[in-house]
Amino acid sequence: MQKGIIASVALSAAMAVGLCAPARAEFPEKPVEMTILFGSTAQTIGQLLAELMSRHLPQPVVPVARTGAGGAVGYQHVHGTAPDGYNIVWNSNSISTVHHGGGLPFDYTAFAPVAKISVEVPAIAVRADSGWETLSDMAADIKSAGRKLKVGASGRGSFTHLATEAILAALDLSDSAIHVPYDQGRAPVELLAGRLDAALQWPGQFVSHHEAGTLRILCVTSAARISQLPDVPTCAESGAGEMDIVMWRGLAAPAGTPPEAIARLEEAARLAAESEEFRKAAQTIGFEVEFAGHEAFGELIARDDTIIADLMGQLGLTEQ
Amino acid sequence: MDLLLAAAQVALAPAALVAVMAGCLLGVVFGAIPGLTFTVAMALVVPMSFSMETAPAIGLLLGTYIGGMTGGSVSAILLGIPGTPSAAATVLDGYQLTRRGKASLALGTAVVASAFGGIVSLIIMVVSVDMVARLALRFGPAETFGLLVFGLSTICGLAQKSLVKGLIAGILGLMVMTIGIDEIEGAQRLTFGTVVLQQGVSLLVAMIALFAVPHVIDAFVQHYAGEQKPQEVADVRAELPTIRDILRDFWLMLRCALLGTGIGAIPGTGGPIAAFLAYAHARKSSKRPERFGKGEMAGVVAPETANNAVTGGAMIPLLSLGIPGDPATAILLSGLLIHGLIPGPMLFIQNPGEIYQIYIAIIVAYVAVVAIQLLGIRFFVQVLRVPAHLLAVAVIVMCAYGAFAIRNSVFDVVSVAVLGALAYGLMRVGIPLTPIILGLVLGPAIERDFRTAMILSEGDPSVFVASVPGAVFLGLAALVVGAQLLRSTRATLSDRRTEEKRRASVTPSE
Repeated sequence: MQKGIIASVALSAAMAVGLCAPARAEFPEKPVEMTILFGSTAQTIGQLLAELMSRHLPQPVVPVARTGAGGAVGYQHVHGTAPDGYNIVWNSNSISTVHHGGGLPFDYTAFAPVAKISVEVPAIAVRADSGWETLSDMAADIKSAGRKLKVGASGRGSFTHLATEAILAALDLSDSAIHVPYDQGRAPVELLAGRLDAALQWPGQFVSHHEAGTLRILCVTSAARISQLPDVPTCAESGAGEMDIVMWRGLAAPAGTPPEAIARLEEAARLAAESEEFRKAAQTIGFEVEFAGHEAFGELIARDDTIIADLMGQLGLTEQ
Repeated sequence: MDLLLAAAQVALAPAALVAVMAGCLLGVVFGAIPGLTFTVAMALVVPMSFSMETAPAIGLLLGTYIGGMTGGSVSAILLGIPGTPSAAATVLDGYQLTRRGKASLALGTAVVASAFGGIVSLIIMVVSVDMVARLALRFGPAETFGLLVFGLSTICGLAQKSLVKGLIAGILGLMVMTIGIDEIEGAQRLTFGTVVLQQGVSLLVAMIALFAVPHVIDAFVQHYAGEQKPQEVADVRAELPTIRDILRDFWLMLRCALLGTGIGAIPGTGGPIAAFLAYAHARKSSKRPERFGKGEMAGVVAPETANNAVTGGAMIPLLSLGIPGDPATAILLSGLLIHGLIPGPMLFIQNPGEIYQIYIAIIVAYVAVVAIQLLGIRFFVQVLRVPAHLLAVAVIVMCAYGAFAIRNSVFDVVSVAVLGALAYGLMRVGIPLTPIILGLVLGPAIERDFRTAMILSEGDPSVFVASVPGAVFLGLAALVVGAQLLRSTRATLSDRRTEEKRRASVTPSE
């Protein structure tokens, strides 16, 4: 009761003093909307992150799915909102692939980085009865047989397609391979059924078949092995030369968002990413928790953007 | 057996039971309201399931899925607007039954058929998950293309009277679905350089526009024109089907359940396709095909059995191969993943207990759905007492909200308005809407499978007849189309002959 009176007195005093001073003493004063760009695992991780972040903020973080057009729809929505910290996007390398593919008129500089949260590492798999233990085996076999390698990945210009092309180039197989695009994670089935020679997807789609001994995951495209598959070599170890292709996910806000708001969100994101629950989910869903603050994240986005632009340019995927 | 008992103990614990029932109720409500679908309901439920124990979490998701699949029939039958795309085929006869005063009978039959389809598909899943999964593996892009073309050819028989108008409608449906980003090449199609059009028209949005908006416009036009509608729906008795009614269609239900399970097991197909195929099959095998489209109960039984059988069918590739067949199972997959259950061959070895829990949850869900719906019929049919123009207001609000909720996009709301107005115009000039739906449902799948098959075969079209299933389905499709052409030319010829005879008999008197 006493407290209530004091609070109301304080409140009226504050109102009397005037609201001319920007009243952003405590960000956030209303719920923060987190735009999610993709369905399935991206959505699940985003929803979990939003829930965990809400525990460390006075207001909830609300995940809102705005899917479609490879992320372009959601990026455009957030790009069009006020830079006040109340609209953030659960982003990924897709900002670069979509922009350079001609889907978005603006690039990553339209957003202020908040924090990097996680990375997902593509893996390439073959049938266990193919007799291929490494990428080098596969390349040697294809070259001596003089036939074409059929590799399944997602659609042209997607991240898994770019990773596929990078591996093929490293193995000097670019001209003797066919990229077969699949949606909805159908590539592993096509591989099992024998219609494909190899498939490049997220490890979660292969892991059960790998353990059951029907498929073999040859390698992961990151520089180091991943915690979900400690026994699977990296593609460098498997014969693809130096390679570090990972898809990061993180949070970004429209450019011009006040640094205080970004710092507050970054802190909540850090606590969420370091929580036990998030780590457990990482193991089961199949991603690596890799937190980085807004500065390091910004550098990473810029570096990746040039790499992706180069790769897409070489493949003729950039919009002229 | 111990495992089964242990699983039953977990899956039938109060918390798990409550979760399944809550899911069913939510699913039925979302499914029954035009515009809202169970995919939206499931996306809402997933975050809730994060903090739950495994058994209640799975139960909640499965309940929502199953409740939504059956709930879609409610608005399809009562209002002529499918609650979910899978219920589109149910509209054809279900709504006619309502107009004949048999709403409650149709609703009751639909829910029993749904549960039958679901349980049969569950049984098939339990006894033959490995075999079905292996068979489904044989359906690659070429084979699926054959199956879809066969489906399209049988369903073409549904085109009313004019073949030309049917074709126009079908092609319009195909064209609408090409808007947006092409998933294979990543090319932008018909986007006019804008970002909003890149998202394309969602199937659900098109569905709402085609079914709901013309209804609503019609209701308003009739109200303002002062036309007194004949009191055709005054009869709102809660009449439930007897066991004998249901047993009459037993064999049809069994065939449709098998068909639905099979379609569900093939990734990339799904509920709407199964429902239309089942409807076409029911009409073909019926002794009185002329009564279809005018309120034949078999026309409700067949699609409802099949679309629920898809739930069990879709679980087969999901659990044994880790492949989600449609958006709803994709959400289910992430729900399973977050609880540490990684679908795939190892799931059956590492987590047999949880597999049993899933089976039990499905059975509980169907029992709950039948109970909820049979109790609910009394209330559902009251909707028919509401004057058409007032109901139309409620429907359009729900549709706008539902269209927005799919992707939180205003573009989708605008699409409903634009496509809906177009649909009303088409209806007025006598272009049937059913072929448009078929174009919408089958078009993207046919295109994708055709192109993937051609990429796999390096441009060699013989791939479509290279395997037994592909050759069989394309052969059947050719037969169906050939027979239809033969029949229609014969009909035209005999028409002409009678005309000539009449003219011949008329000429002398001149």
